[in-house]
Amino acid sequence: MEHGFPRGFGRGAAHADAVLVLRCLLGITPRELFALIWRVGTAAGALAAIERGEAGSDNDRAFLAGADPARIRADLASAGARFAAPGDAEYPPAFLRLADPPVGIFLRGRPLDPGDDRVALVGSRRPTPTGREVAIDLARGLVAAGLVVVSGGAVGIDAAAHRGALDGGGRTVAVLGSGIDVSYPPSNGALLRAIEATGTVLGEYPPGVPAEPFRFPARNRLIAGLSRAVVVIEGAAKSGTRITAEHALELGLEVFAVPGSVTSPLAQTPLEMIREGATMVRGADDLLADLGIAGTLRVPGSSPRLPPPQRRILETLAAPMLPDAVARAAGLTVPDAISALIELELRGLVRGVGGRFERTFSAALQG
Amino acid sequence: MYGRVVGVTVLGVGGHAVTVEASVGRGLPSTTVTGLPGAAVQDARDRIRPAMEQAGLEWPLRRVVVNLAPGNLRKEGPGLDLPIAVSVLVATAQVPARAVADLVFFGELSLRGEVLPTPGAISVAIAAARRGCAGVVVPAANAVEAAQVEGLRVVGVEALPEVVGFLRGTWTAPDVPAIVAERPAEAEVDLAEVRGQEQARRALEVAAAGGHNLLLVGSPGAGKTMLARRLPTILPDMTDEETLEATQLHSVAGLLAGRGVLRRRPFRAPHHSISTAGLLGGGSSVLRPGEASLAHRGVLFLDELTEFRRDAIEALRQPLEDGVIVVTRSAGSVTFPARFTLVAAANPCPCGFAGDPRRACRCREDQEARYRQKLSGPLLDRIDLRLTVPRLTKDELLGASAAERSDEVRARVVAARERQRHRYAGLGITSNAHLPGPIARRAAGLSIGAEELLARAVDSMALTGRGFDRVVKVARTVADLEGAGDVGADHVAEALSYRTALEQDEGLVRAG
Repeated sequence: MEHGFPRGFGRGAAHADAVLVLRCLLGITPRELFALIWRVGTAAGALAAIERGEAGSDNDRAFLAGADPARIRADLASAGARFAAPGDAEYPPAFLRLADPPVGIFLRGRPLDPGDDRVALVGSRRPTPTGREVAIDLARGLVAAGLVVVSGGAVGIDAAAHRGALDGGGRTVAVLGSGIDVSYPPSNGALLRAIEATGTVLGEYPPGVPAEPFRFPARNRLIAGLSRAVVVIEGAAKSGTRITAEHALELGLEVFAVPGSVTSPLAQTPLEMIREGATMVRGADDLLADLGIAGTLRVPGSSPRLPPPQRRILETLAAPMLPDAVARAAGLTVPDAISALIELELRGLVRGVGGRFERTFSAALQG
Repeated sequence: MYGRVVGVTVLGVGGHAVTVEASVGRGLPSTTVTGLPGAAVQDARDRIRPAMEQAGLEWPLRRVVVNLAPGNLRKEGPGLDLPIAVSVLVATAQVPARAVADLVFFGELSLRGEVLPTPGAISVAIAAARRGCAGVVVPAANAVEAAQVEGLRVVGVEALPEVVGFLRGTWTAPDVPAIVAERPAEAEVDLAEVRGQEQARRALEVAAAGGHNLLLVGSPGAGKTMLARRLPTILPDMTDEETLEATQLHSVAGLLAGRGVLRRRPFRAPHHSISTAGLLGGGSSVLRPGEASLAHRGVLFLDELTEFRRDAIEALRQPLEDGVIVVTRSAGSVTFPARFTLVAAANPCPCGFAGDPRRACRCREDQEARYRQKLSGPLLDRIDLRLTVPRLTKDELLGASAAERSDEVRARVVAARERQRHRYAGLGITSNAHLPGPIARRAAGLSIGAEELLARAVDSMALTGRGFDRVVKVARTVADLEGAGDVGADHVAEALSYRTALEQDEGLVRAG
């Protein structure tokens, strides 16, 4: 099958309405719909075929019986969202290279600029604190170099990536796996509104569609489709993160991965990707260099002068360690070791995780 | 024919003297009890006659009226069996009337005339002493506990014939065994048995030294229960007054059986399915102390805090603030002492493995949010020390150095407590944990370095106002353990370590 939709697909008012209605159907999969469109040739034809029962589900037909494009447009407007179909300025041409391109997308916030250079940061919804830190560092580095960040609209690495981009004064694109007006989890609402103010929130689903686990994998192909490169930060074995990376490979994008300890469950996906040929990056500097963007933006490490016990502890902390072990290794009493660890934590060089202490990403950066 | 003796009814923890009068007169054989008897006291009518007959005593086949005064006080419990029986014995001249003057009688009777162990004997002794009585006649099983009250002759009896023999001067009660000179803190468990977990051991020491409540967060199998169970062993020995208070509560709950007095600080670990009444005290007719009161002067351990009934947990605020629980029922209102150290334990997340480097947490964001919600709230505000207890690896366990014994740690705790008592002499409090938030900062004596560190913590750790007060109090305790006058930066730093991921992540969770 050749790439993209049939020539002239969706042109003309009647067909434009049909495309919008088609995108509101939840029963028929994007892949089935794409095949159907190629079979019948037009959007209105596809709608008629679904009504005749040749494709789609009974729910789709029930929806079509009462579907009113004008009302859908009104709902969209009240949700502060808009619709873009293939051929529209905001519909990313790269989507047409997907095996199952969306028949249209919904958007909120600033217009999607076709001239943007975008990099996706993807990873676990339950990352380690280090994973969060790395995501923030990468996002800051990317926006400082004038790139735009892309990630999902969920928590964890997604949220950290957006947060890093916003903190760095840059733009970011969030791709939702739920209805265009639905925040999932609800606590993400404020973040999505902040993203909208300077960047874009987009997704495949019309207003009101709840977040369901089975919709997230489909969302991942859009993340890849929006980006020039994908960076995998943390993901358990066989995670959704892996799906995004596979879409990226299909589209011929560069894939990067941030390594972790071989014993860490959340390092498994990035480590696998590295074995399969992804480029290993340790932080924003590596990534920017590999993307061919010159110049480091990091303030050179004015590493603070630490009191000797704190320096000794920082040198000992190769892996997460119990305070007792830190005390023994550094020759301190347990209370003194705990005090020194907290001083280091206040400097942002150490953090406590589950009763053990580990070096932060900032400590690694300061070498 | 008339007899009069004094008994005691136990309401809540307090004993109230009851004058028991018996009148034996003409009429068909019958027994009436007047003067607001409770159900157990009504039962006594049917129990006492066979008990006396089995003991070879005579029950008058006439009209017997027993009156309990004061008439406005509800009388509860089986302890009035013995005074009622003795009043009838006096009324029928089977024992001399002058022999019972100045004595208080207490005990439940069996149908064979035995005097059975009865809850609340120590409260009876206290009431008798307050009334100025010379002695108490109590079940032999409860004699040691009653003997804790000074200046009171305690006569322990096994059966009715001994009571009669004693009153007739033909039987002498054996001496109540002197208080066994057992080392009060000689406990079955010791802190030395906890391998590794140095930070948790240290947190127990700080909790004991400042009277702070403690939250232990950790995966199943991390050793939270093992740690909590050892907190009583490093608390200072109970004073005589504390021993008496705690013994009294266990006595009225009927939990003393066999043991004379409570020597060790109690450790109570109710299951999370416990009712509010079970935790705080209550009951329909007889008001019994709850687990919180049984933990008085000791440790109340709530394992799996999030599983407890919300209302039960909320109700713990009163004892945590005031050290007492007021239970009000139709039968009246009773105050139970309940000043305990709370140790709560919880998993870090619903699946239990958040923060574990070797196992991935499988919880969904919303599940975890709900879990955090459950853990938060007014009870958590009253817990100064929060600690993550990690599950140790084999290497970490093997690498652990030899641990200190409870008595070594306790010596430091006692010294730190002494410093606090001295410092707060005029304030009406005895420990840092009870320092009111508003004055904590001033009273703690923070050094300049400590102030600076706290200011940095407010910024980078998102310390709230309450969190700030908690850190100051705990830092004061750390300084007291060291014998330092001012609170230094290192003391504050250690205090800042007693937080868990549940708070550490707060900022990020809000941002994410």
